[in-house]
Parts: sequence; structure tokens; C-alpha cells
Amino acid sequence: MKDDATFHDAKLQELAQRLGARAAERLDVERTAQAVVARLREERSAPLRGTWTWRRPAWLKIAAALVIVAGAGLVARSMWQTPSGAPAPVETVDLSDMSAPQLRELLRSLEQPGAPEPVSSQDVGLEDLSPAQLRTLLASLEEQT
Amino acid sequence: MPPAEPVAAVPSPTDAALIAAWQGGDEQAAAELVRRHARALARFLAGAGAPEADLDDVVQETFIRAFRAVGRFRGQCRFRTWLLTIGGNVLKDAHRRAKRARVVPLADDLRSSDGDPHERAVAAEAEGRLGEGLERLPRLQREVFLLRAQQGLEYEEIAAALGTTPGAARVHYHHAVRRLKECLK
Repeated sequence: MKDDATFHDAKLQELAQRLGARAAERLDVERTAQAVVARLREERSAPLRGTWTWRRPAWLKIAAALVIVAGAGLVARSMWQTPSGAPAPVETVDLSDMSAPQLRELLRSLEQPGAPEPVSSQDVGLEDLSPAQLRTLLASLEEQT
Repeated sequence: MPPAEPVAAVPSPTDAALIAAWQGGDEQAAAELVRRHARALARFLAGAGAPEADLDDVVQETFIRAFRAVGRFRGQCRFRTWLLTIGGNVLKDAHRRAKRARVVPLADDLRSSDGDPHERAVAAEAEGRLGEGLERLPRLQREVFLLRAQQGLEYEEIAAALGTTPGAARVHYHHAVRRLKECLK
């Protein structure tokens, strides 16, 4: 006579083997095979689109990561400098009210020799900077660290 | 009448040969792999909680993902085992998208099966309880249980497919069995 544990093990095994069997039997395997092949064919016929959609997120991710790193660096720098440092020259200016040409003019004036900071990045929105200005900003940060 | 000449049995191509043929552009090789493994995959997915209405879609999606990633399949386990683990991922994603409750088709079972109606009802109820118990298990325990008890795989094979050790797979299985027995009491 089987003890309870053995009985339950056998019952569980039997149930597990039956589980899903009826649903699987009802699957139309040939139709599934043809559908899979059709989808694969569709994917293969559009390799260029696939390549583009694969590559685009890669460079987008890199660009986003660079912006986040630069932003984090700026925030960290402002947190370190604010308590002891003198206020930055542009802090009293509301940059959000300035147009892009005005901001460029401001950047040019700050980049002039003798200016306390090459680019005062604390209040300048990164989205307003050109790639060249971003590179300059990053280079200035690297020099300081 | 001369005796018929024995027909030489043509060995069916291995999964590895079919995969290579598919990679070389042979669509029929892909179709053959689907024919070969679709039912086992469907059984695994249904056991793991795939609603029957969605079963065909989940099976198709699993094969599509598998064929896309087949270049990364290194033969660490059998193709079918690898496919089942991909199926588990597809099912997890599907559950995340649509939190639909699994319906045990009890009435349908009763209509379509032969035998004593009372026995069928009891069996269907037990299957239903097992299914509910499986849904409550952590995913790893559920998959190890199904791969072992339903698909009959060895712990080494299960461990290779799930990226764990045979010992850990054994522990997951025993935890699953203990909890499922509670459901069936």
C-alpha cells in the first residue's frame, strides 16, 4: 500500500503531465508553422528598416547618457560651489526669458578673456547649447576637475 | 510476387541541422522546427497559465523570438528546453501587458472527454487547483516544476536552460512540490 507522500507525488506528476494537454491538442500546428514562417519572411524582407531601428536607439542612448552625465556634473558642481563660492555673474538674470540669440551673445561675453567662468553653465539650459558649445562646456569642466 | 524491398528509413534531420538550414535561408526548416516543438511548447505555456484563447499567439511569438535569437543559442541545452524558457519570458511579458485571469475551461473539458462524468469532473477540478497553485508560485519554481514534472527533464538540463545550478533547480522543484501538494489537499 502506498503511503500518503508517494501517492501525492504520483498524483501530482500525473496531473502535471495532463496539464495543458487538451489545449495543446487543439492547437493547429500547421497553421502556426505557416504563420511563423510568414512573419519571419516579412522580417527578412525589411532588413534595412530593422538595422535602422536597431541602431537608432544605440546612438540615442549614448547621447542621452552624455547629457545626463553632463547634467549630473553641473548639478554636483553647483551643490559644491554654492555654499562657499561667490554667486555666478548670471545668477540674477532670468535666462528663461532670453531668446536664443541673446543667450548666444551672453555665452560669447562670458567666453571673453578675463571673464570669471568660460561658460556659466549653472543657469543655461543644455537644450539651448549647440554641439560645439556643449563640447566647450565639457572641456572646461574636465579642466577644472 | 517478389517480397517488397525494405524501405530505408530516412533519418529526420536534427534540430541543429534544421537551425543551420534556417540560418542559411531555408524557410521550411523553420516550419519543421515549429511542427516538431509547437505542441510541447503549447502544453508548457498552458500549464504555466497562458489562456487558451491566447495560446496560438504566445506560441507564435515564442518561435519568432527564438528564431531572431537563434544565433546566440550555443547548445548549452536542447533546443526545445531553450524554447520553453523563451516561452516563459514571452508569457511573463504577456501577463504584464494584460492582467487577465486564467479561465479553466471546465465545461469544455466535460463535453470533449470520454469516460465517467464524475471522474472527469474530479480530474478537471484537480487540474484547476493545480493550475491555480502554479500561478501562485514564484516564476522560477513554476518553470522548474513544469520542466521537470510535465516535460520530464533532468535537473542538469533545467539548470543549463535557466542559468542556475542543478542543486538550486532541485531545491526550487521541492519547494514547488511542497506548495502544490498543499493546494491539492
